[in-house]
Amino acid sequence: MKFITKILGQFQQQIAAGDSAPLAKERLKVALTYDRNGLEQGTVENLRSELVRLMAQHLDVSADDVHVDIDSTTGPNKLVASIALRPPRRQRAAVAGSKLS
Amino acid sequence: MAGQVITVTSGKGGVGKTTFSANVSAALAELGKKTVAVDTDVGLRNLDIVMGLENRIVFDLVDVVEGRCRLQKAVIRDKRLDTLHLIPAAQTRDKSAISPDAMEKICAELRHMFDYTIIDSPAGIERGFQNAIIGADEIIIITTPHVSAIRDADRVIGLLEAADKQKIRLVINRLEPELVRRGDMLDIPDMLDILAIDPLGIIPDDATIVTSSNRGELVSLTATSRAGQAYKNIARRITGEEVPFMSLESPRTLIQWLAALLKRNK
Repeated sequence: MKFITKILGQFQQQIAAGDSAPLAKERLKVALTYDRNGLEQGTVENLRSELVRLMAQHLDVSADDVHVDIDSTTGPNKLVASIALRPPRRQRAAVAGSKLS
Repeated sequence: MAGQVITVTSGKGGVGKTTFSANVSAALAELGKKTVAVDTDVGLRNLDIVMGLENRIVFDLVDVVEGRCRLQKAVIRDKRLDTLHLIPAAQTRDKSAISPDAMEKICAELRHMFDYTIIDSPAGIERGFQNAIIGADEIIIITTPHVSAIRDADRVIGLLEAADKQKIRLVINRLEPELVRRGDMLDIPDMLDILAIDPLGIIPDDATIVTSSNRGELVSLTATSRAGQAYKNIARRITGEEVPFMSLESPRTLIQWLAALLKRNK
């Protein structure tokens, strides 16, 4: 019985395993880009705050709309800032009590 | 021809610098090269015990630096292989006892005395590391396939390049081919891509390392293990010989074969 449990366990392990290595590679690429460029998390955060201040002078954005990060998808050595724009809400005109007659 | 001084370093601790230094020094000595292994981990010495020479220490590197003995007196010759030598570190001091200048002078002397000087660096990037690299003609970086070790190796490579050390090669230690095959361990191309330096060798994880160090023996001399063969190949590459890399595929068990079949047919 123990033998069968062991075999089943090994089987399960073999089927379940197998995706942590690619994740490690991606994480390392991002971490090393920060390390190699001397980018401490504080530096990026300061940059982000200043961008928010600058953007707010020209656009209607809040702090949450501005993101600054290493973009590992478009290439390992890019610092990408994205600013989410907020268009003013459109309102449907309230037609009180009108009836189409 | 003047000898070569090669420093073995890593950044991360525990990745196999000392075991590597001991085994590759022995393999070089077995090829007939007059070789000395130097322990620069002052205060935490280990090269002596890994080489099985811990009972032969009379003088150490700090004695030489502080003028209590000449360099020759601190050199221990291995009785099992007379081309193999060791200069141990001091155990009751720390790394402030040696300066990079002093180390550079010692390396200059060792270059005349030995074909190969293998300097076992301590972990870290502080004084001990600085001492270990200053006299090096060549650097070997040891890493294991783990995120922590690779990150540290990358930092060390950056520091070495800034210190104008041009010849830097990588050794990947403790590879587990089974985990790599399952996709659960970084593979060799991934690590070479990330670190972007030339590979010198790949050493598989091997239980004979533990048993041989328990006995104060070296796998590159005694056992017919895969790690031993890897160390021997690396020694030959250091001397300039071209040696193809060993295949590290492990044969599949029946269960692994069945599981792979099931995965494919999902």
